[in-house]
Amino acid sequence: MDLDLFLQFLTNGVVMGVFYALSALGLTLIFGLMRVVNFAHGEFYMLGGVTGWFVTSYLGLDFFSGLALVAVAMAAFGWLVDRFLIERVRGQGEEPGILLTIGLSIFLVNATLLVVGPAPMKVAGAVAEGPLFFGPIAVTKLRLIAVGVGIALIAGAHLIIRKTRLGAAMRATFQDPMAASLAGIRTGNVYAATFALGCTLAALSGMLLGSIYSAQASVGGLISLKSFVVVILGGMGSFAGAIAGGLLLGIAEAFWGGYVATGMVDVVGFVLVILILLFRPQGLFSIRAERA
Amino acid sequence: MTLERNVLLAFLAAAALLPALVTDQYLLHLGVMALFYAILATSLNLVVGYVGEFSLGHTAFLGAGAYTAALLSTQLGLPMWATIPLAGLISALFGFGIGAITLRLQGPYFVIVTLSFAEVLRIVANNWIAVTNGPMGLAGIDQFGITNKGTFFYIVLGLTAVALYLAFRFVHSNTGRAAVAVRENRYVAQSIGVDPFGTAMQAFVLGAFLAGLAGGFYAHYISFVGPEVFRFPFMVTMIIMVLLGGKGTLIGPIAGAVIVTLLEEYLREMQELRLTLFGLIVMAVVLFLPNGLMGFIAQRREQQGAKPAPRAATKERTV
Repeated sequence: MDLDLFLQFLTNGVVMGVFYALSALGLTLIFGLMRVVNFAHGEFYMLGGVTGWFVTSYLGLDFFSGLALVAVAMAAFGWLVDRFLIERVRGQGEEPGILLTIGLSIFLVNATLLVVGPAPMKVAGAVAEGPLFFGPIAVTKLRLIAVGVGIALIAGAHLIIRKTRLGAAMRATFQDPMAASLAGIRTGNVYAATFALGCTLAALSGMLLGSIYSAQASVGGLISLKSFVVVILGGMGSFAGAIAGGLLLGIAEAFWGGYVATGMVDVVGFVLVILILLFRPQGLFSIRAERA
Repeated sequence: MTLERNVLLAFLAAAALLPALVTDQYLLHLGVMALFYAILATSLNLVVGYVGEFSLGHTAFLGAGAYTAALLSTQLGLPMWATIPLAGLISALFGFGIGAITLRLQGPYFVIVTLSFAEVLRIVANNWIAVTNGPMGLAGIDQFGITNKGTFFYIVLGLTAVALYLAFRFVHSNTGRAAVAVRENRYVAQSIGVDPFGTAMQAFVLGAFLAGLAGGFYAHYISFVGPEVFRFPFMVTMIIMVLLGGKGTLIGPIAGAVIVTLLEEYLREMQELRLTLFGLIVMAVVLFLPNGLMGFIAQRREQQGAKPAPRAATKERTV
């Protein structure tokens, strides 16, 4: 009985962990690599959920073609945001970026509230609801699908960065922008592409999780905070770190909520971040030993 | 320095005349809020403008002060002249503890960890029902029968004067100058014997103390304190004030506080559009006024100061 409960908590924690990792992926690129402390990350996630709701219930697309359409739209959006806003404050330290993205997030939340209102919107899921049982452990089908798609997205983003020309250009640019532009890389485009990719990943996770929970205009703040926690736990700019950070946070929260107290679950992540930065400031899995 | 001092004194004197000229309670309320925010912006500016690290957790000190004053007043029945200074002191203790951890970090890490501390305090305030009464908050904080906003206005004006005096003395002290040196170039400052951590700590604790004073006043003025005092929107308002006015100047945050308080009130008539426009304004300020209003004014003065000089030179030649 106790073991069953333990396994159930563990499963819940792993599922939540994958979701956390997924929603933090975009931030791994934008905050971890580009060093833009992006407070609009949660709003990109939220926009993904809301546009996902729009394309599935108004345009009547099925879940996966909706996902593709949202990806294209949000990539274009991210590209424009970088080109018109972020580019103007690049290389001025983190402060203007923080303010700019705070302004952007206030604007996006309230513009969305003006257009669609505060009510939660359910994104039509890929499959019907219903639990699956593995021995004593219950998981809903939707969650399993979401975990699967999430892993596919993580793998896809990893391949883009490791195996493509664009990915090589990205890595070069973030190592040394000056040398990269001397070598003929259009760094402006690389920054915009990275931002667009980060924005797309955030939006896709928003749509995916919007089919499990719901999409809501005001969800962004919480997502931003949790994603920062995950990125710092895992180490800046590392995908493997984001996954590990997400899993760590998910499992820690599940056990804390299950065994200690449900009220203070959200404290866990922040306490973990404070401890990590005190004792291992480069994050748990960062390759570069960078002093915070 | 003298110009700065005179402008600050003129501002306080002009503010002191306000209740004599205006009897409308609503306008006085706006005045009280503007001064309350002026204290907060001044205290945040000590960290953002003079230490040069971007704190997103300043609400921790506002909230600590507000809860301290609320608890001392409702549980122990202490009067206002005792609760507000104690709120500042307790908040300064929080500043010491949080600063000891966060000031070792820099850049984005400092930003996120200060924010984490504020969030932790908010969640604790939300859940520690025995002390904080949870999300219901602490209501009915004693106002000592003060019903006229004019009286509150003079109290907050007194606190503003204290805050500006302390900030002025700090900024123009050796420690303040050392902090600016660290902000401009950490390694050069260290090489001439400045201790970056120590100077940053003094600014941080003073900032926490002032924010605590503001929090204590807020508790008595609103007569209610809930976990919202730790929330991000308060933080955003403070930051916008400091940056719009111009960080690293003493006049800037005050100008920012007055402008933003009035702007928020004016835009309130537009209901849903208000915050949408607010977001756009924030972006516009970052892009077009990167050093705030004071930076803009300083730039204009430099340009005007540069123009007459060649003319004087030509005159000399003709003579």
